[in-house]
Amino acid sequence: MSVTLYRIDDRLIHGQVVVGWGQPLNIGFIVLVDDDIACCDWEQDLYRMGVPPEMEIVFTDVKGAISNHAGYVSDKRRGIVVTPDIATMHRLVDGVKTIGDVNVGGIHYKAGRTPRLRYAFLSPEEERELSVIAEHGVRVTAQDVPNARQVSIAELLLSKPVEEKSA
Amino acid sequence: MTSSLTSPPGESRVSLPATTWLRVFFRLFAVQGSWNYETLLGNGIAFCMEPALRLLPSGRDNPRYAEALARHARYFNAHPYFAGVAVGALARAELDGVSPALIERFRTALGGPLGSVGDRLVWASWLPLCSLLALAAFGYGARPSLVIAIFLGTYNAGHLFLRAWGLRAGFSKGLRVASALGNPILRKGPQVVGSAAALLAGIAIPLAASRVIGNGRFLAAEIILVAMLGGVVFARFGGRVEGWRLSLVILGLFVFFSVIR
Repeated sequence: MSVTLYRIDDRLIHGQVVVGWGQPLNIGFIVLVDDDIACCDWEQDLYRMGVPPEMEIVFTDVKGAISNHAGYVSDKRRGIVVTPDIATMHRLVDGVKTIGDVNVGGIHYKAGRTPRLRYAFLSPEEERELSVIAEHGVRVTAQDVPNARQVSIAELLLSKPVEEKSA
Repeated sequence: MTSSLTSPPGESRVSLPATTWLRVFFRLFAVQGSWNYETLLGNGIAFCMEPALRLLPSGRDNPRYAEALARHARYFNAHPYFAGVAVGALARAELDGVSPALIERFRTALGGPLGSVGDRLVWASWLPLCSLLALAAFGYGARPSLVIAIFLGTYNAGHLFLRAWGLRAGFSKGLRVASALGNPILRKGPQVVGSAAALLAGIAIPLAASRVIGNGRFLAAEIILVAMLGGVVFARFGGRVEGWRLSLVILGLFVFFSVIR
């Protein structure tokens, strides 16, 4: 399987993805799944500047990602599929039954979200949606960079908010 | 999606007075001063941009001044040395009167690529290169004070240049800043600097080890020659050289050398 990481990260293309995961996994392509960015050239130009010249970046909406998923998997290079939020990954998992693992890599602060990890802030609705993804048989874990500890969904959702832990 | 969100505005004639440039530039050194896990660089970006926002019509009395500060104090992340690109481009957008919805989309799209370019160019390339340059100087016999001066001088020259260039490029390009990030130095730079650092590692590490161990013989010429030959071999066959194969070759050379000596 050439897609080595299915990642939820609201920053999409950034150092942790390109350098942190990209270099040790020898990533050759990144599929950025976002309905809005897929139809916006100037945003694509920006994200394209974030990847090195030797790495291909593919912009697609969820529908396109589902229909082209077999092509990503059969690609000889290793790839990362990244979505900006849990809802987008949920739709992708619903459409591609072969996805076995999903990585929560970065969901940052917004009003209504509770800090679960330093890099994972979740609203009650997002927590429910992650649970639904896991109930589909997908192994959901949180891990920002490869050398960090992998946190299971049970630990992520049952853990006390970060402030309470450090208090 | 409205049409205004699909296309950034074109060139404008907004300019910054020299004092504003200096205020913004010096504030960039404190861009991480209020870093936290909720907003990351957000507060710092708003702080750096504030002198430029005073140039809005009616200055601080304009409601857009407070709205813009609040908007940019929210969550934002980028490499600190490339934050100037964001500060310049976002300040320009605010002064041009770009719609808040488009500015929000733009700042969301801008942070990640600035982080990626910065991580590759600075943390993964420039910092190792400067460290190895200083290590090579140590290996050549430079005094400790000179070694420290070489590291601090080269490293700081790089980040000062990046901060100044980023602010200028961001403000001059505005929402079209992707063209500035497409500069060949930024696109090819990490690879070139990384290769130079790898070559320098081949020179610096043996030289420094030789000085520390003090084997009584200065091997500089041999070490540089071998490192350069190694560089040529990697450049030619780099794609086919894997870790375990390289280890076997080096092990074989050690065995061969121990037999013939």
